[in-house]
Amino acid sequence: MLTNGAPEIAERAADRLAGFPGFLRANGFAVGGGDAVQVLQTAERVGVLDREILRWSLQALLCGRADEWQRFDELFDAWFLPPNRWQRAERREAGDGARSPAGMPDEGDGDAAPAREDAAQRRTASPREVLGSTDFRALGEREHALEIEALMRRLARQLKPMLTRRDARARLGRRLDLPGTIRRSIASGGTPLHLAWKDRRRVRPRLVLLIDVSRSMALYSFFYLRLARSLAAELADVHSFIFHTRITGVSQALHDPDPWRAQERLHLLAQGFGGGTRIGESLAQFNREHAPRLVHSHTAVIVMSDGYDTGEPARLSQALAQLHRRARRVVWFNPLCNRPGYAPVAQGMQAALPHLDLLAPGADLASIRAVLPRLIEALH
Amino acid sequence: MSASRAQELSSLIDELAAAGYIAEPALAAALLLMRDLERPLLLEGDAGVGKTEVAKVLATVRATRLIRLQCYEGLDAHAAMYEWNYQRQLLAIKLLESDERDIAQKEQDIFSQRYLLKRPLLEAITCEQPPVLLIDEIDRADEAFEAYLLELLSDYQLSIPELGTVHASSRPLVVITSNGTRELSDALRRRCLYQYIDYPDYDKELAIVRKKAPGATHALACQIVAFVQGARRMDLQKKPGIAETLDWTAALLRLGITAIDAGGAQGLMDTLSALIKTRDDRVAFPREVVARLAAAC
Repeated sequence: MLTNGAPEIAERAADRLAGFPGFLRANGFAVGGGDAVQVLQTAERVGVLDREILRWSLQALLCGRADEWQRFDELFDAWFLPPNRWQRAERREAGDGARSPAGMPDEGDGDAAPAREDAAQRRTASPREVLGSTDFRALGEREHALEIEALMRRLARQLKPMLTRRDARARLGRRLDLPGTIRRSIASGGTPLHLAWKDRRRVRPRLVLLIDVSRSMALYSFFYLRLARSLAAELADVHSFIFHTRITGVSQALHDPDPWRAQERLHLLAQGFGGGTRIGESLAQFNREHAPRLVHSHTAVIVMSDGYDTGEPARLSQALAQLHRRARRVVWFNPLCNRPGYAPVAQGMQAALPHLDLLAPGADLASIRAVLPRLIEALH
Repeated sequence: MSASRAQELSSLIDELAAAGYIAEPALAAALLLMRDLERPLLLEGDAGVGKTEVAKVLATVRATRLIRLQCYEGLDAHAAMYEWNYQRQLLAIKLLESDERDIAQKEQDIFSQRYLLKRPLLEAITCEQPPVLLIDEIDRADEAFEAYLLELLSDYQLSIPELGTVHASSRPLVVITSNGTRELSDALRRRCLYQYIDYPDYDKELAIVRKKAPGATHALACQIVAFVQGARRMDLQKKPGIAETLDWTAALLRLGITAIDAGGAQGLMDTLSALIKTRDDRVAFPREVVARLAAAC
């Protein structure tokens, strides 16, 4: 198909096709280097004249998850359809490329320069002010941020055996695995010296973190996201979300092996949010979209928020009640709890209290460390 | 070439429809590509949108067998690939005790195909005619199994230590479904074609109801679909899937309800158990809500 027309047209079409995976990658798709070849092969097979067939075929080929699937149409149009939009997309790609080499200082184009300026200012500011910045990019630049991350990692590693440990009582009433026993007996010449036992079906404990990233939480959300990242890196079953006026999953972004890019992604995710904090709405959205698949009878849901809610308290109360019925434990870390004379009088907190297993202070690592082990213990 | 592809696409859609599945063109395009590139197809979507049905109908259309592997937590290689028939082997050892042949020969005898129990994966790659292999709810199996599966899907061969390597005599059409209870590995996603299946829109669902429940009149089918679509727009814990729509249609027909209107709300209440599956959702469906939804049909 591609070689039929005038050679330069075919070449241009091939170039454009081959550039598409790169464009998707710049837009956060997980496509690899070999995909350009696959795209050309596919195009050769299905033809490029019928736009819809090409669209459906490439969609099946290049998407890997639901959110990619939903964004594909728009990106396909942007890349293949009108040339004016096409150019804009290309420039965006170039911008991304310049930013991606892991935080290397470069000849700043308009985008990178202010960020660096910010960072320079922060270096001279007090630690308090550094934490106060909502810009996730600034994280990890200061030694104490690294230090606290090391501490968090240590905490996560301490929790690890608790999550994977099997209950001693589970040994009662176990059943012999006959095929397994005979398989093992081959090593000892057919004498079953070592017995194999059937594994008990068990559900691993799971942690779900819901982190408030509204302005009033700016001092702490950075800290909590770091914690989420550390926990996710060390423990198998941790899922993180951020909320503000709506809720977004950030497990993927936190899992990014490149910490700088992880920050970048989080920053992008948090950006689209409007003003105010609607905890109730966010939790209701979580119940609707994520809880059915994430929350089971061995799940602890951890809400990290100061409870300043601009939404309806009744809505929060209802959403938490629903969550509480699903989850084994619902814990709320409130960073304000540490302050002398604090009482949970904020309307949001008032509405939440009846449906919590625990309201705990969460302003520093020590207070969190005091709670997490017991929480995981309770999940078994 | 492009024109013939379009023809192929529409004839596949027709074949699927004849087999009882109303497919989006995007899904049909992916199924064609799956054959061309010999890649597995990963289907994601909420429970009850007809993911498993895709594999079943694909087997019908291609006139081949469907081999199904239902994943569960703790699924291991032995349950999925092969297992020696230990009881028979033990019996054979006893019987062979009086045999004069030397040990090596006896051993060869015991570890031969006769004592091998084929589990779905081994069975799928040793079929004469390429079957459809359905790996259902892969997200329930653990990551170790996923890695194991990747190996099979990249080389289409399986090694059995006592017997040697089994090469695929045919490449199965692999359909993998996931409900998204666990994030799948990028490696698996990269190897597969992907399709996200959403709840059907009004026209598609109406076509499905007409096809699967011919007993319902056109007017009733329209009302049923409008009602269910309305229910899906509500804030429910478990949205009704296509299976629920069909169940509910059957329930209505059985009770002799021929029209959905606000007046018959009480009668509808009795059939809701086919549509609404959790207690909270049931609470969200008092009579007034049913009447309002029914009136909008």
